[in-house]
Amino acid sequence: MSAPRVRPPKQRGSDPITGSALGHQPEALLAFLKLYGTLWSHGVLDQATKELARIRNARIVNCAICKSIRFEGARKEGLSEAQVEQIRDGYETSALSPRQKLVLRYTDVFLSGEPEPDAALRSEMLAHFTPAELVELTAGLALFMGFSKIAVSLGGMPDSLPVNVQPTPDWPLPAAGG
Amino acid sequence: MSWLPASGPGRDDFERSFALRPELFAAWREFAGIFWEKRLVDPVLLELCRLRVAQLHGARHALSTRTPEALQAGLDEAKLARLAEWWKQPGFTALERAALRFAEQFVLDPGAMSDEEARPVIEALGDAGTVAFIEALAIFDGFGRFCRMLDVQPVGASA
Repeated sequence: MSAPRVRPPKQRGSDPITGSALGHQPEALLAFLKLYGTLWSHGVLDQATKELARIRNARIVNCAICKSIRFEGARKEGLSEAQVEQIRDGYETSALSPRQKLVLRYTDVFLSGEPEPDAALRSEMLAHFTPAELVELTAGLALFMGFSKIAVSLGGMPDSLPVNVQPTPDWPLPAAGG
Repeated sequence: MSWLPASGPGRDDFERSFALRPELFAAWREFAGIFWEKRLVDPVLLELCRLRVAQLHGARHALSTRTPEALQAGLDEAKLARLAEWWKQPGFTALERAALRFAEQFVLDPGAMSDEEARPVIEALGDAGTVAFIEALAIFDGFGRFCRMLDVQPVGASA
């Protein structure tokens, strides 16, 4: 584990996010949590699809925190740990569905040095997703990648963490202790 | 126009594309705008990094815009003309060079960033400023890619 480049604020609570280095910018953090909660819990795209893209991103960017997290909503929609295990290089020959593989291909292009889908990929995406769903998926990828890179850049990342199932982000934030 | 066969209301292709998810777009605007409106980082420094990230992505929409707060703070277009080769061009301060190096590494591979590369930025911006700077980079990187993925057209392109 590397040393953290930015230490958490001295006056911090017990919440793992607000008590992290991100707590140095509480207003920005609140705005981010609103954005993230809107993406996950007030969207038009199913949560299992977003989770698939999020976990693929986490593994490519190599964010140990993001790799360890599973969101409850996606699990309830049927994204099992056995399926999550297949979100790795070589997924094209896995038992994942054609739609799931398509999302992973789109994610890989997003994360590449040339983030531009070719005509065939665009056409396939339009056959499986509405325009609003495509905007949500692409914006989600931007946030997943951004959050992973923030975590990596701040340093202090452990080498690995156990799988940790968490409530799906929502907005307004659920009441504390609720 | 983006390859999406639908669009919402907006002044340019980015807004018309993102407007297909209006609640999400509103929340995005609130988050992405906070770094400029609250001056969490010097707006000229931030604009240099925003445009450099856009150059790396070939994100034509981002390259076609200038952030008002940066213009008000004295953004120099002549300097922007040298931005693509900032490392061998004159006129960039030590902090600007350190921030541009950090921004490029953030885009390419943040896991490969060394403490030596990060230190000048953290020392200059402090903990709170560094967090804001990195969060802004995440927006620039993520939504530069968003624009490339959806082929969002630059401002001024015909709809």
